Amino acid sequence: MANDREILREVWEGKLPVCFKLHPDEVVELQQPDPFYLMVPRLSYFPLVTDKVKKHFLKYVSNDKQDHEMWLEYNGQPMKWHFPIGVLYDFLVEGETETLPWIVMVHFDKFPETQIYRFSNKEMVESYFMACLKEADVLKHRGQIAANMQKKDHNQLWLGLQNDKFDQFWAVNRKLMEVSGESEHFKYIPFRCYLEDGYKQKLVRPVTDEGKRKTLQDLLKEMFPEKTMVNVKIHGMTPPLDTPLQWMSEHLSYPDNFLHLCIF
Amino acid sequence: MEMAEWRQTILFKLQNRNRKETYCFQDLIAQHNKVFESANALRNENLHLSIQNEKLRVEGGGGSNSIAETRLSEEVQNLKQKLLSQTEELAELHKRKGENAQQIIDLNVKLQERDKMMSTKDVTIAESQSKIASLDAEVGMLTHANKELKHLNDVLRDEYQALQLAFNVLEEKLRKVQDENRQLVDRLIKYKAKDADRMNEENDNFLNDGSKPFTSKLSTFGIFRKRHAKMQKEIEEACRDTRGVGSDDYQEGYGPISQSTLPTKVHVKFDGHEGEVNAVKWSPVDRIVVTGGADRKVKLWDVSKGTQENKAILVGSNAGVMAVDFDTSGSLILGASNDYATRVWTVSDQRLRIGKEMEYVLTIADFCFVTDLH
Repeated sequence: MANDREILREVWEGKLPVCFKLHPDEVVELQQPDPFYLMVPRLSYFPLVTDKVKKHFLKYVSNDKQDHEMWLEYNGQPMKWHFPIGVLYDFLVEGETETLPWIVMVHFDKFPETQIYRFSNKEMVESYFMACLKEADVLKHRGQIAANMQKKDHNQLWLGLQNDKFDQFWAVNRKLMEVSGESEHFKYIPFRCYLEDGYKQKLVRPVTDEGKRKTLQDLLKEMFPEKTMVNVKIHGMTPPLDTPLQWMSEHLSYPDNFLHLCIF
Repeated sequence: MEMAEWRQTILFKLQNRNRKETYCFQDLIAQHNKVFESANALRNENLHLSIQNEKLRVEGGGGSNSIAETRLSEEVQNLKQKLLSQTEELAELHKRKGENAQQIIDLNVKLQERDKMMSTKDVTIAESQSKIASLDAEVGMLTHANKELKHLNDVLRDEYQALQLAFNVLEEKLRKVQDENRQLVDRLIKYKAKDADRMNEENDNFLNDGSKPFTSKLSTFGIFRKRHAKMQKEIEEACRDTRGVGSDDYQEGYGPISQSTLPTKVHVKFDGHEGEVNAVKWSPVDRIVVTGGADRKVKLWDVSKGTQENKAILVGSNAGVMAVDFDTSGSLILGASNDYATRVWTVSDQRLRIGKEMEYVLTIADFCFVTDLH
């Protein structure tokens, strides 16, 4: 049971200061626009928080590009909107000298079709989020809990995330984090390991065959048997290697119920 | 608690993170945002005010009443605000219009697809209908043919029944005829037996009569006696006949002048035909012989000089000639052949005069000229 509200609260509170700048090539006004500063929750997604940013910069781009979709770029790399912001930050910024606020370039032109998906509206983000949630539930409980939920509960999860309402979100999400039946752990741990070239997923049980609890170290050994030294980052910190997997899944998962581990 | 250590570490790290990333910047950015917004608002207001100012300056020549001026400016402000909200609304509406236009385009595309589908369906329906029509026609034709066949079948059945009836009647008749035939054969056998009896009796009588003088000499011959006796009797009869005819018939004035003798020598012998010779006749006037053979030819031979001389070959018959005859004047020849026909040739120019198929030629050998055709 995810009952350590102190940890959950701290995880939820995580926000990043982001400085949005319109790419100089796309400015048509004489005056360069002011950069737009925003605190964005690490657990949220960019399309949910950038409405104001778009509105601010629309004045400065040429008229024929105003209907184009806005996309974000950091350090020459388009950002995948369907990853949580925290994952993007941990993955893209780590390794360099991190300086806050995080400076992100805003584009309206030349949408990089081959590298990121188009998103026409927030419903698309919602359906992607719900799909991830259900996938995680399939791994944890064979999909029974998410399937038995009502539309109302799904809406509450989504609105809780969108409006940054911790209590609203966790009132429903705790059901997903419960252990079903008499067993004391999930069937498999839903997680994704982010590497240079995308992410890796595997079926990993939270306990060994003898019934012993597995730790983060066991998971890394299963995923990367050839590497001796693996650096992991989640929620902007490196968890101790002896952290039990079951506890991690319950407390350190992102709202889509996945553990998004950045591997270096 | 054993989990305390790592949990504590995580909690500490998270707190540290939040302190570093979040709390440092939160107030700053909130403040910045506030300032940013107010700056924006002020800039807008400034713009409005300068416009207003400009307007007032234009109007301002006669503007003396400060109270009215302020009221006017308030009004203008209100109106401006309204205008602003209206423009915002307009933008919203434009946005919605764009969405609707997109929807319309999508729907149009869908409609076109539907139309395409409809047209293909129409084509298939038309094809099916034409197929149905052709099949209907075929069905009509077949039913018609079926009807005709049925009719034909009925006719044939009727005919068959009629023929069956006729056959039955004929069979009945055949049975009757066979019965009659059997009776007749029986009767014939009876008569034959009677004849044989009578013949035997006569022979016995004859033997009894004529055997007396010869008995002593011929008694040893046994079996040949009867035949011998018969021969004797014939010879005696012949002797008696010669005498009888010679005396009686001569006195009457007709009959053969020369004595009738059995021919002993062949005068002329020749091969007249390829195959059998079926008929020979003398001409009643000349020394001409006509022969008819199986080689479908009738030939005329002159035998007056003691040798045969082929006078003519009469052709025209389609089967073997079975009988020939001259007419009484000796100028026409009648030939009957197995092709159910009789033909007449003239002797003088050896040409076919009349050929007529006769339907019922029962026995060709029995026929001859009845009357002179002239």
